[in-house]
Amino acid sequence: MANHSQLNFQDASSPIMEELMGFHDHALMVALAICSLVLYLLTTTLTGKLSSNTVDAQVIELVWTILPAMVLVMLALPSLRILYMMDEINEPDLTLKAIGHQWYWSYEYTDLKDLTFDSYMIPTTDLPMGHFRLLEVDHRVVVPVNSTIRVIVTADDVLHSWAVPTLGVKTDAVPGRLNQTSFLTPRPGVFYGQCSEICGANHSFMPIVVESTPLPNFEGWSTSMSS
Amino acid sequence: MLASRVFSLVGRRSISTSLCLRAHGHAGVVKAEDYTLPAYVDRRDVPLPEVAFVRDLSAQQRALKEKEKASWSALSVDEKVELYRIKFNETYAEMNKGTNEWKTVLGGVLFFLGLTGLVLIWQKHFMYGPVPHTFSDEWVSAQTKRMLDMRVNPVQGITAQWDFDKNEWKK
Repeated sequence: MANHSQLNFQDASSPIMEELMGFHDHALMVALAICSLVLYLLTTTLTGKLSSNTVDAQVIELVWTILPAMVLVMLALPSLRILYMMDEINEPDLTLKAIGHQWYWSYEYTDLKDLTFDSYMIPTTDLPMGHFRLLEVDHRVVVPVNSTIRVIVTADDVLHSWAVPTLGVKTDAVPGRLNQTSFLTPRPGVFYGQCSEICGANHSFMPIVVESTPLPNFEGWSTSMSS
Repeated sequence: MLASRVFSLVGRRSISTSLCLRAHGHAGVVKAEDYTLPAYVDRRDVPLPEVAFVRDLSAQQRALKEKEKASWSALSVDEKVELYRIKFNETYAEMNKGTNEWKTVLGGVLFFLGLTGLVLIWQKHFMYGPVPHTFSDEWVSAQTKRMLDMRVNPVQGITAQWDFDKNEWKK
């Protein structure tokens, strides 16, 4: 989860998020370079140090066409690399379904047994001391650590979006459509997210909590939940 | 019948156009009605405008232009200034001269900031309810302890700032 008034990303809890953070740094540097150049040109123009009496400027036109094209290529290549990396065939160890409703999520683990449960936000009035307001749920999405998890996201009524920032996951839940995403957690922990597509009055009050835990714990949880 | 109507329409159009043409250009100053034509502009970063400022010269000015074709040292200072004023509208000094507009702008900005502040004070006093109980110091410290116990953001975030051996924030 984020600190109060946090502006930057949360620490990455999956390899894809690490890649995305690296790309974001790269894109930000490109943006900084361009903004610095523009600011410099603006300052020189406004202080009268840059003037032009040119009417026909073939060379500079060529330069300021080729250079931006190169900048765009520099942005596009790493971006596409990560995009394709996200869609790699990764043979998931576990598949679960996340179904968005107004206004809660329901999860189905149907690989081995029929485990289905709803996940409602804990209201602020019922929150135990020190717990996170608007983020805690009654039933978390428990997954085994260091395993590739495939999540099939869909919705029952209106558009929702299943998002967990620290895992680098945001997948729209569209009624009548199955969208697939996957993630892998190298370290155990509890990861929070919130519904990311406006879906009505309680759109801000249907969070997502993913708990990554060693496999024996996951199996114990799965057994206790299905009984 | 139709042909005569068309002709009268065309005739009316040509009369109105020529009237427009005759109406302008009397002051001897270029007016750019059509922005695709070369225009005069006073700009620091465009030192050589596309046309001269004064387009239609009076007889006196035309004589001066003839004199300009000879040696320039024969021109008096006043004649040189007149030639400059034919070519350009403002001097660089006149162009660069500041106005007092900034005072108006700053005043307006501060006024509206103050007005917004008053609106916010009114809202806080008359409209908003109390903040949630999870903002109390007791809750925030319990919450922070829980975040550290859960190892939230352990790489560079909050947990990375906590020294677990000494039980205090890292210096």
